[in-house]
Amino acid sequence: MKTVIETKNLVRKFGEAQTQVTALSNVSTHIEEGEFTAIIGPSGSGKTTLLQLIGGLDEPDSGDVFLSGTNIANMSGRQLSDFRRDHIGFIFQSYNLIPVLSAEENIEYIMLLQGIDEKDRKTRVQEMLALVGLEGLGDRRPAQLSGGQQQRVAVARAMASKPDIILADEPTANLDSTTGIALLDMMRDLNAQMNMTFVFSTHDQKIMDRADRLIHLEDGIVHLDEIRNS
Amino acid sequence: MLTLKLAYRNILRQRRRSLLTALSMAGGYMLFVFSMSLLEGSWSNVVDIFTLDHTGHIQVHKDDYAKRPKIHKTIENPAAVETTLKNHEDVTGWAPRVYSSALAYGGNKTSIAQIFGIDPELEPTVTRILQKVSAGQYFSDQPNADGYFPAMIGRGLANSLRLDVGDEIVLISSGADGSIANDIFIITAIIGNTTSFDRLGVFLPLTVAQEFLSIGGEVHEFALLARNKHDNEQLAVALQSLMPSLNVSPWQQIEATFYRTMQSDKQGNYFTMALIVFIVFIGVLNTVLMSVLERTKEFGVLKSIGCRPSELVKLIFIETVMLASISISVGLALILPVIVWFTEVGIKLDISVDMGGVVFDTMKGDLSAYVVFMPMGFMLLTAALISLPPGLRAARILPRVALGSH
Repeated sequence: MKTVIETKNLVRKFGEAQTQVTALSNVSTHIEEGEFTAIIGPSGSGKTTLLQLIGGLDEPDSGDVFLSGTNIANMSGRQLSDFRRDHIGFIFQSYNLIPVLSAEENIEYIMLLQGIDEKDRKTRVQEMLALVGLEGLGDRRPAQLSGGQQQRVAVARAMASKPDIILADEPTANLDSTTGIALLDMMRDLNAQMNMTFVFSTHDQKIMDRADRLIHLEDGIVHLDEIRNS
Repeated sequence: MLTLKLAYRNILRQRRRSLLTALSMAGGYMLFVFSMSLLEGSWSNVVDIFTLDHTGHIQVHKDDYAKRPKIHKTIENPAAVETTLKNHEDVTGWAPRVYSSALAYGGNKTSIAQIFGIDPELEPTVTRILQKVSAGQYFSDQPNADGYFPAMIGRGLANSLRLDVGDEIVLISSGADGSIANDIFIITAIIGNTTSFDRLGVFLPLTVAQEFLSIGGEVHEFALLARNKHDNEQLAVALQSLMPSLNVSPWQQIEATFYRTMQSDKQGNYFTMALIVFIVFIGVLNTVLMSVLERTKEFGVLKSIGCRPSELVKLIFIETVMLASISISVGLALILPVIVWFTEVGIKLDISVDMGGVVFDTMKGDLSAYVVFMPMGFMLLTAALISLPPGLRAARILPRVALGSH
């Protein structure tokens, strides 16, 4: 299998002098193409920091992040933006949809940034809505959708750009357990259908049960790397 | 299209705040346009006063006659000039003239005088001389029954020589050939008042003045009016190319000192108006900055999903310019009827103003593309510039920090 994510000796510290906190300490790991991986650990263990470093949303104090063989540490701000746009899809804990855009427009916007023409954008938006089971709800604004529906739109948005990797930071944390499990099952199906690499953070045991692989983080250190299914 | 939609909806997100900002911009635009109309209208009136009093929009001379007038610097073939002017569609009127100074006698009194030789029929097509007749009748080029030719004199000269309509005036001058020129004329009209530029003038029919000054059929000057007074400089350039042996000058060159004074005054007023717009836009800047701060997390999300920093600058730019455009459109719709009324009807002055014999009792504005579009362009440019600091702030947002904000 092809390695799509590789971190080498990642160190990230926050604060200065006496108040300094080490969020990640020499984290080295690699994730293969098509894996459905959960980064787990208690609050403050460094899950979000690791996802942000993998996604190029933050810079490590030392160490490297290779995505599909490319070291993102060497990229300029603009190159990093373009890389995120074309290769990474993000799903956030609190959905983070643009409130003034409809569900369709939220999904379409990233394709606009990619320079895809309008006809193709519209076609793919409908495909994505169907994929996440939101046909007929495309014209609704986020405020008119339930939490679960909003997160499905966020998943559709993340997948619309056809990224290599989808990073999800506690995607089910704001959902009730039934909706959360349903969402995870849907992500799991998409992972299987499209062979996209999913990496998500969680501390919900029911969610962890659905992952192929669990990377246990504790105090910024990889405590255990556990392959659940193969 | 989606970006425009996003910008438009972002404007509507805080409706009350956007409305207040739009009102301040619309008000600023209206004030700017009204001030411009007033300024341009006032100066347009003043320019009309002296261009229609004597100067015309353009003058044609031989050599440097306009700067250093000499009796022998005459246009030798006035018929050719007349043909050129007659055939040019942008020339609406022209008048040939001759000038000289003279010693005027009235009874036992004497005074210096300025001779204006004018064509009785053509001069009123260029100037307001008919309106300036304060006593008597406008003249023709025909002698009276006793064989004396008519003259119209300025009010200052009439007072100085204690002359009135029907009296004789004797002029002594020198002809172009060096001969002594002297003759008696009958006063048919008094022109202007004691503040007029021609208060010491003696107007003679053109042919009579030519004969008196021994310059044959030649003239010193053609004054003419342009169809559009704002385009007189371009017309002067066009006419110059048609008459390369003569000097064609717009009034801005003939009255250079006045023109510079007018430009200085306008620039002072423009500065004041720009200051007003600047103050309005400080408020706009505050609004846009607040909007950016409130949407920090959203910009973090946009950057996370791959929005380039320049895209965020563009988004803020579009939002600000769109709000300014809407505000200006509303301002234009509201101010346009006022400006039309101000231009067509104007404000009646409590006290009439006598400007060199022409009475002005109404203050009017000016309505032109410049009056409407210059403030529009200036405000849109200011809006574009004011959007840059908030745009750059949004562009510099760090996704990690922004995603953690509320």
